[in-house]
Amino acid sequence: MVLKVELAQIRPKLGDIEFNLSKHVEIIETSSADCVVFPELSLSGYVLRDLVYEVYRDLKKASQKIADKAKCAIFGTIDEVMPGVLRNSAGVAIEGKLDFVYKFFLPTYGLFEERRYFQPGNPLKDLKVFSYRGFKFGVAICEDAWHPEPIEALALLGAEVVFIPSASPMRRLSTRLAIEDQWEALLKAHSIMHGIWSAFVNAVGSQEEEYFWGGSMIVNPLGVVIARAQKFEEARLTSLIDREDIRRARYFSSFRDHNRDFHRAMWNI
Amino acid sequence: MGLQQVLNRLLDVNYNVIVNYIVNRLKEYLEESGKEGFVVGLSGGIDSSVTTVLVSKATNNFFVLLMPSSSTPKEDMEDAYSVISMVKAKEKSKLIPIDDVVNDISKKVETQDKLVIGNVKARIRMTLLYAFAQKLNYLVVGTGDKSELLLGYFTKYGDGGVDLLPIGDLYKTQVRRLGAELGLPERIVKKPSSPALWEGQTAEGELGISYELADAILYLRFEEMKTSEEISQELGVDRSLVLKVERLVKTSQHKRLPPEIFRLSGRAINSDWRYPRGWS
Repeated sequence: MVLKVELAQIRPKLGDIEFNLSKHVEIIETSSADCVVFPELSLSGYVLRDLVYEVYRDLKKASQKIADKAKCAIFGTIDEVMPGVLRNSAGVAIEGKLDFVYKFFLPTYGLFEERRYFQPGNPLKDLKVFSYRGFKFGVAICEDAWHPEPIEALALLGAEVVFIPSASPMRRLSTRLAIEDQWEALLKAHSIMHGIWSAFVNAVGSQEEEYFWGGSMIVNPLGVVIARAQKFEEARLTSLIDREDIRRARYFSSFRDHNRDFHRAMWNI
Repeated sequence: MGLQQVLNRLLDVNYNVIVNYIVNRLKEYLEESGKEGFVVGLSGGIDSSVTTVLVSKATNNFFVLLMPSSSTPKEDMEDAYSVISMVKAKEKSKLIPIDDVVNDISKKVETQDKLVIGNVKARIRMTLLYAFAQKLNYLVVGTGDKSELLLGYFTKYGDGGVDLLPIGDLYKTQVRRLGAELGLPERIVKKPSSPALWEGQTAEGELGISYELADAILYLRFEEMKTSEEISQELGVDRSLVLKVERLVKTSQHKRLPPEIFRLSGRAINSDWRYPRGWS
């Protein structure tokens, strides 16, 4: 059982929904993949700040347009869950049906200010695993991959691949790009611990002072980076995801030993 | 860890990547702005020389202004011309001595105070840069570096009055190294920094501290978030020096921010007006 995925490492134009939507549609229409995955807030750009309130209504329509076009697409948008309450979301469009995955951990430190605009998702209600062509997948938005729980929960719910739409800005550039090494370490750890495929899709290009570095990558269940997009440029990275690799990794791992008591203990911390 | 180790950490960066990054961002910024090019003021110092080279790599549409005054050393002009020939910008540059305008203004203000006149010089240059920018439909590229911006070592609405600051996240010591990597003449890379607003002025003389030390203190205090005690111990310098740098940063905060607006309405500009710059 194989799924062909495409990571669309695009350069969204901040606040220009029309431009971003046509870019999404063009990629979806020309992709040979089963599922196309875009970065976090790919329809709007990430550094929206107060522009959030100006664009979220248009995002609703744009999200529906993607759902009308795509077999299977995951893209970044904003969902209004009740009047005036917005969530940083991934739209999941499967054969005309549109659903949303919400971000649970909203970074509000350093250059990030998501709690000013968004409400976090509720793990008790909002953990979702989807199925397409017999493959089960989950979606964890950017910062959610910096915590063990969201992806652990998705894997335990049966996700075989976790897509991670992200908007990771470049910082601490030295001889190497520290943030790239950190992402790679996180993806490898998630894949190894759970015997899953991890697919990180980053935005690229400048938005305000920030610069998104790209470098999207796919890690197999053994923790090996099997595909990597270039940094600092737009890219379309297509790769095959094979269920057999999940089996092979899990035969020799203790993923099966989920011990609920740790979570019970953590509940009381 | 001593001073040299901290500096090594700052200097051990990939300069090729940084050059490509800044050049690409200049290209993107220009494209998104809808303007046609960049104007830059070149003094022959390290910051403006590095900025001019970077700008020349980003676009052919740039214009360089040389705006010396009586306090500008002859060597600086020679160095500026060497940069102009390096970026092949002879036809895209203009020499505008500013002493006549400076004298007019100092007469009207009735002062010979070197600080007042020095700032007037910086603001005359800003006015000229913007006049040329508007005439050509270009943007004004600032040449300030991170050390100057943090220490407040610039003139508000003078050299601080610009459209963008491409090397504003690089410390002075990093800019020097970048200049060497870009192939600037050694004399430019090594000469002491000076705004040359009056004769004999040097940045390090005025600040009372070397840029190497200032950069290490700025980095440890504001990026590694260490305390003045920890920094004084780590660098083996008197704590008063650390506090001096800290004071310069704090007292110049107003220079790095837009002017304060006294709130009256439900939604005031600045604190409650967080729209992106590119809002269209």
